[in-house]
Amino acid sequence: MFLVKLSLKNLMRHKKRTIITALIIAWAIFFYITFDSLLIGMNDMVFQNIIDYEYGHIQISNQTYWENKDELSLDNLITNDETINNKITEIDRYQNHAAQLNFQARLNDGVNETPVLGRGIRPEQTFDVLKYKDYIIKGEVFKMGEHKAIIGKRLSDIMNLDVGDYITLLTKTKNDTLNTIDAEISGVINTPNPNINQNLVFVPLDISQNALNLNNKVSHYIVRLDSQIFNQSIVNSFQKELGEINSNFGVYSWRNLDEVSITKAKQSGNVLILIIILTIAAIGIINIVILAALERMEEIGMMKALGLKEKEIVYTFVIESTGIGIIGGMFGIILGAISVYLFTKIGIDFGAFMDMDMTQYGIPIISKIYGGWNPKTFIYMFFFAVFGSMLASILPARWAAKKDPVKAIYRR
Amino acid sequence: MALLKLKAIKKIYSQEKIEVAALRGIDLEINEGEFSTVFGPSGSGKTTLLNLIGCLDKPTSGKIYFEGNYIANFSKKDLAKIRRKNIGFVFQSYNLIPVLTAYENVEFAINIVDDISKDEIKDRVLRMLSLVGLKGLEDRKPNELSGGQKQRVAIARALVKKPKLVLADEPSANLDSKTSEDILEIMMKMNKELNTTFLFSTHDPLVMKHAERKIEIKDGMITKDERGEKVNVFS
Ligand SMILES: Nc1ncnc2c1ncn2[C@@H]1O[C@H](COP(=O)(O)OP(=O)(O)O)[C@@H](O)[C@H]1O
Ligand SMILES: [Mg+2]
Repeated sequence: MFLVKLSLKNLMRHKKRTIITALIIAWAIFFYITFDSLLIGMNDMVFQNIIDYEYGHIQISNQTYWENKDELSLDNLITNDETINNKITEIDRYQNHAAQLNFQARLNDGVNETPVLGRGIRPEQTFDVLKYKDYIIKGEVFKMGEHKAIIGKRLSDIMNLDVGDYITLLTKTKNDTLNTIDAEISGVINTPNPNINQNLVFVPLDISQNALNLNNKVSHYIVRLDSQIFNQSIVNSFQKELGEINSNFGVYSWRNLDEVSITKAKQSGNVLILIIILTIAAIGIINIVILAALERMEEIGMMKALGLKEKEIVYTFVIESTGIGIIGGMFGIILGAISVYLFTKIGIDFGAFMDMDMTQYGIPIISKIYGGWNPKTFIYMFFFAVFGSMLASILPARWAAKKDPVKAIYRR
Repeated sequence: MALLKLKAIKKIYSQEKIEVAALRGIDLEINEGEFSTVFGPSGSGKTTLLNLIGCLDKPTSGKIYFEGNYIANFSKKDLAKIRRKNIGFVFQSYNLIPVLTAYENVEFAINIVDDISKDEIKDRVLRMLSLVGLKGLEDRKPNELSGGQKQRVAIARALVKKPKLVLADEPSANLDSKTSEDILEIMMKMNKELNTTFLFSTHDPLVMKHAERKIEIKDGMITKDERGEKVNVFS
């Protein structure tokens, strides 16, 4: 107890030095928390983007189809019948759903040709599940049965296409015969999700089914739930129920997407920052212990003369450093909380970084990034600061405690 | 019984190939309750001798017995244990801990000795501070005390755990002669009242004249060892 008291008094000995070291630690924590928060915010936004503009909360498709969904094959499709549609509406927290048909196509405007992703939709369904409505920047939505298409903004720029222009989609039917869909562009869409804007062509579901020789087949359903929170149990229980209809059907949450796991992997960049930060903090602590030890050499010698064990001398330094860690940790999480609060409220305008091509990261272009709260980070960082300071101090403290008492007392 | 016995003690410092023989064969016995001084010119080996006796350092050769125990091959930890319980130190430069008050500096020495209750600690610290004449100054920090007062705190610190032996290395070297006498008086008073064994070094003839036993050391050898009557400084 007495040694703890001594350590705390030593802590206040050079208030400036203590505060500066604590502030270094605090700054490191603050930086990490802020960075982490923005990363979470960024991830959340990417996830929200995926949910709102591309995927919904849940997708349902044939399991074999899902495994090779990028091939856009016309095998293993689902018959869009009443049984499955009714079943889908029974999902817990169900809001709405849409049947969609993906197909490979080449867009031809009479001069140029480019590969695109064709998507047959029921506009009233898809526009319910996905938030496209506000992003039709030109023209309007088509109706079922109309030979019309909606294309992404970038695609329209690249191909120099506008509302009212005619396009031809060259496709292959299931039997490998060539077919075409002629359509008039009814609208141009520019969503915050760059994937949609780049190479998607929406056409009425029935038109695409006819052209591809697919009788009432769809590739997948997208479902919106009324909860943002990811809930694997909903997916699991629905998978079970759906299995009773057809054991080939699979239920997939947005969490299962490759893009999502890639984004999570990006977080490992955090670890690097964490290591850098811990190193900075550790250097601060080591520095302060060495300075203190040099300055208190006679005292250390005296303490040894009094009969204090080396362990006890180490202990006084470790307590002192831990105290600095606690102060730094507290400052750090307070600063971090303020910063995260500001970022969640105000956000950071990535318009300023427009020159950077953020789309390649799946980050929406026309948007602000908001911070996200992660209480775990606060707790972890506080303990990192405290234990990091503690550990960092042990070595220099042992060096100090090992000093020959005679040399220490007489500074020889 | 001799509290302390030194036999053929040699201490050689070697620094960068230069060897300095600080002690060149010391034989010495100190009895319990003795008030002795080691005197001699600067560089004669006084500090080295006291450090060896105080278990702060080990001799190059020779034997040291503390209460009959041969301590030359004790581990650092065991030596610390002996110091903790049995030896009090007073240094020329006081070596008080600046962040602690006079009270706490004294408390420190007794706090690390086991088996003493809180109440007894408080009691003994206060009594000791009043014995050395610092009543009312308990809450002062070292920088609020004069040199003489600091050395009184150091003496109280050395004595509070009731050690068998107090070693004082030129305790009055930094003090004026009046204060030196005061400090010496206090040490003698403690020696009388508590029967603590004192061994202090000095190169000041004025200080050394009070000692009951005078051990002269020159060039690392004892050249004189006189026992006289206890001088009554209070008369
Ligand atoms: N750590 C050391 N390294 C080298 N020489 C030392 C060391 N300590 C003391 N000496 C030498 O040993 C001799 C005795 O020193 P010391 O015991 O301090 O004498 P005193 O206390 O009587 O002045 C001196 O010549 C001194 O220079
Ligand atoms: Mg000396």
